[in-house]
Amino acid sequence: MSAAGEIAAPAPSLRTIIRGAGFIGLGAIGVAVGLADVLTRAPANAENVGPPLLAPSLQFPFGTDILGRDMASETLHALAVTATAAGFGALVTVIVGGLLGFLAARLPWGLGLFTRWIAGVLGAVPALFLAILLIGLTARGLAPLVAGLAAAPLAFARAFDRARELGLSRHAEFARATGISSNALLRRDLAYEFRDTFLVNATRALAAVAIILSTVSFLGFGATPPHRDLGLMIAAARDTYFDHWWTATFPAAALALLILCARLAAALDEGERP
Amino acid sequence: MWRFGLRQAGRLALGLLGAIILAALVSALSDVGRTQGASAYAGAILAHLMSMGRFDFGTSSISNAPAWTELARRLPATLELLGFGALIAVVIGAPVGLLLSAGRVLRAGAPLIQIVAAAPVFCAGLGLLWVSERVLHWTGAAPGVSLLAALESGNPDMVAAALRVVALPALTVGAAGAASIQLALRRAIGRAAGEPYRRGLQAMGLGRLEIDLVYLFPEVVSGLLQSLGEVASSLLAATAVAEWVFAWPGAANLFLKSVALQDWSVVGLVLLVFASLTMAAEFLGVMGARLLAETERAT
Repeated sequence: MSAAGEIAAPAPSLRTIIRGAGFIGLGAIGVAVGLADVLTRAPANAENVGPPLLAPSLQFPFGTDILGRDMASETLHALAVTATAAGFGALVTVIVGGLLGFLAARLPWGLGLFTRWIAGVLGAVPALFLAILLIGLTARGLAPLVAGLAAAPLAFARAFDRARELGLSRHAEFARATGISSNALLRRDLAYEFRDTFLVNATRALAAVAIILSTVSFLGFGATPPHRDLGLMIAAARDTYFDHWWTATFPAAALALLILCARLAAALDEGERP
Repeated sequence: MWRFGLRQAGRLALGLLGAIILAALVSALSDVGRTQGASAYAGAILAHLMSMGRFDFGTSSISNAPAWTELARRLPATLELLGFGALIAVVIGAPVGLLLSAGRVLRAGAPLIQIVAAAPVFCAGLGLLWVSERVLHWTGAAPGVSLLAALESGNPDMVAAALRVVALPALTVGAAGAASIQLALRRAIGRAAGEPYRRGLQAMGLGRLEIDLVYLFPEVVSGLLQSLGEVASSLLAATAVAEWVFAWPGAANLFLKSVALQDWSVVGLVLLVFASLTMAAEFLGVMGARLLAETERAT
């Protein structure tokens, strides 16, 4: 056996295990969402599949709601809507917040500081309020985009501060002294930053956007029927869940699972404030 | 310290100016129809900015009352909910944060708290509502009974009734705040505990408890204070949800209704007040942390 073979591989840290668990969970949710039409027994919003408000049983594992819809099918369809919309919103947060924040830090003539000030002001407003305001100004159909934008100011501020820190670092000073252009330096910093933090930022944004989206839907500003998401499902169960707990419990559990997996994948780093 | 304080005060003033401009941008929508052009909108923004300088925040398009009167009627209820929520957040969040940072084994258990924290605020609120109705049989309690007023009256029945009303929304807000506080605390402890001076002090013969109490504790409090803005923001967001779930007649509920009915003057004012609260909390936190550090250095 070679010497190299005798060196034991380092044990994975707790952080790596947690992130791995999070990504496996997100992957499983992704597969379930992708196969939602195959896995479910009824299409979305199919009424009278069973008797109304039937308790969980072998035939209907999650029970049925007041319109006789299969709760298991409805929960999976709603999870698909929430996860897809949150994924899109997270992408908006990463691009508008993370990427533009990083680029804005290198803008000339104080423009960078001006954009940082705007992000700071918007970041002082809770993201939920910002999302509701933007939906009120536009349309409910734009909720995924708006939720992503609402989570963006904090991501922007963090990326901006990180870029400023990198811009003042020793390697940047050395690069400038050796004649490397600021554009080349920016490209280099951006590439390394993207490689190191993209997944963490994206999953962190996914958790934040999923919370914002489901909350605005619950409050009546987000998804509209027939495209029900988990927040709207829980809101619709408000009148029935006191006597029929399953109408709200399973959608809430599915939502909590999505958020939990996203947070674990971000290694428990909750930067955004939902 | 003075120079630092002035710089932070300047930052706060700039932030408040931004919040006023944001409020004017939103309030101006009440004067301008969708068909009118950008110049009309710019004029309306300027007019609102000047009015705000005279503490005139416009008129509610629904009630025709001044926006400030509308908000002033609801703000005490929100502040009461925020206050009790913050108290619960500290009482729950601080011990949990300390416990989960106490040792390697407990630190490894930190992910478990995420299972609880992953539930959005409205799910927690609905869960508490279910427990109150089904388990505790708290039904028929009308919101709007101020606990502070009840405490002031000294009537035990009134206090009990007010406590019953405020308990669930405050617990919902407190749970969200507790999640934020324990996270900030764990972050601060993780940062402070990794400092190399701890080993040096141990080599000098100081006990672990002594090091933790004299050196680590102020750093942790300082770290927590620096996250005060973040905690305030999560408490405010949770207040909006709790007010909606428990039909609490507060300013966050007013915000939701005003957005739905496009009462932009009220929306702008609520945004201004909430942003100012977050900024003020952030300022106080940063100043408190600095003051603590200066006191530590002096002693």
